[in-house]
Amino acid sequence: MVALVIALALFFDFTNGFHDTANAMATPIATGAITPKTAVALAATLNLVGAFLSTEVAKTVSGGIIREGSDGVQITPDIIFAGLMGAILWNMVTWLKGLPSSSSHALFGGLIGAAIAGIGFNSVNLETLLQKVILPAVFAPLIAGIVAYVCTRLAYALTSRHDPDTGSKLTQKRGGFRTGQIFTSSLVALAHGTNDAQKTMGIITLVLIASGTQTPGSGPQLWVIAACAFAIAIGTYAGGWRIIRTMGAGLTEVKPAQGFAAESSTASAILASSHLGFALSTTQVASGSVIGSGMGRRGTSVRWGMVGKIALGWLFTLPAAGIVGALTALLVKTGVVGVVIAAVAGTGAVLYMFLVSRRSQVGHHNAVEVEEAGQAVRFAKKKALAKARAKANESARANESKDTQR
Amino acid sequence: MKWLELLTVGGATLVSAVTVVVLYSLGVRLTAIAGDQRAAAPAWLRSLAYTCFALCGLAVLFGLYLIIPYFSG
Repeated sequence: MVALVIALALFFDFTNGFHDTANAMATPIATGAITPKTAVALAATLNLVGAFLSTEVAKTVSGGIIREGSDGVQITPDIIFAGLMGAILWNMVTWLKGLPSSSSHALFGGLIGAAIAGIGFNSVNLETLLQKVILPAVFAPLIAGIVAYVCTRLAYALTSRHDPDTGSKLTQKRGGFRTGQIFTSSLVALAHGTNDAQKTMGIITLVLIASGTQTPGSGPQLWVIAACAFAIAIGTYAGGWRIIRTMGAGLTEVKPAQGFAAESSTASAILASSHLGFALSTTQVASGSVIGSGMGRRGTSVRWGMVGKIALGWLFTLPAAGIVGALTALLVKTGVVGVVIAAVAGTGAVLYMFLVSRRSQVGHHNAVEVEEAGQAVRFAKKKALAKARAKANESARANESKDTQR
Repeated sequence: MKWLELLTVGGATLVSAVTVVVLYSLGVRLTAIAGDQRAAAPAWLRSLAYTCFALCGLAVLFGLYLIIPYFSG
């Protein structure tokens, strides 16, 4: 059972890397800062390094959310198995459907659901859950968005140059930000490793604690760290190829200066939170930054409808994965047969979804989640602005067609 | 209380991101000035630009140094 759970956890880690490469590397590839091949290799390597850097988040996952040990309720590997199943299934479904969701919240949702169904409501440490998962989930994207807005403003203000006599524009060399993007996006990949790989480490540690091979309250062991780091790196490398194809289809209009500002804020927000053990979603922080930096550029308007859609997706993740986790927990409770049924059904579902994804065309809707956030900000081009003054209706239609092109 | 930690995260994010972006933007601006065709820019301008980039890199490394437990104990 323990081995099964560890394998499942590593698979979850793999899908996580697979899912989230886009967050780090989408913008530099889009602006042409790095070639896709280099970008993917770089992201994978830095994910690997990042996973080794800090284990604070792993400790949050393994030691806070579900009460373990003598003073709390005894958690069993079965519960963790059920929780992981819920997380993986929800992750695969959202990935397939192109819904913006967070792997991290799927994981927590699954675990919480499984714990409630399997043990009871008091097994969940609500206080830690609220403080280390829910609150950061709400505030981190907000913080990242505000910071990205400020940074974009600053970047544009500092680099804008006008001739003092004629008032005409001088060369601004904003292309210089393209080089900077290589570094900032690397930082995002690193930050991703410090936060997302940790969650799996936390789970495996939790299993080891639950099965009695590790003392409660201790941090992850070295082999666990190494295994998780490699799983996420391999996932990142594998997932990258999908994105490369996506890039051929074109992406949201992101200027190098914007991308630079957005990535610096994403990386800072994630690294700062990782340091304090906040388990937050890289996807959400990156989305917040992209929206923030989009608002920071002149002549943009936010499409709140799209923002609402993204927010709704986030809201649903926790309960939905929780329900799947709870159902699996109930199934597992019935005994060995239940475990086998759950394992077979889960594997079958994942395989089915994988096959479906192979058949379907790779569109940016199912590969790049942050892309959705980019769509939430509308860039009014100069032409469109002029048109808007003349004929409001026509420009609206033009914008609509532009949106569909994106 | 965790609100304080949340505030710390917000503050740290703002400070670090703004530092990096300001330094890099200054570097970009200075390179642009140094590269102007019209007026012959003094040579120190370009080196100042590179200093900005270097400081930016140092700021990032310092941030990482603070985070990695191996270094900070």
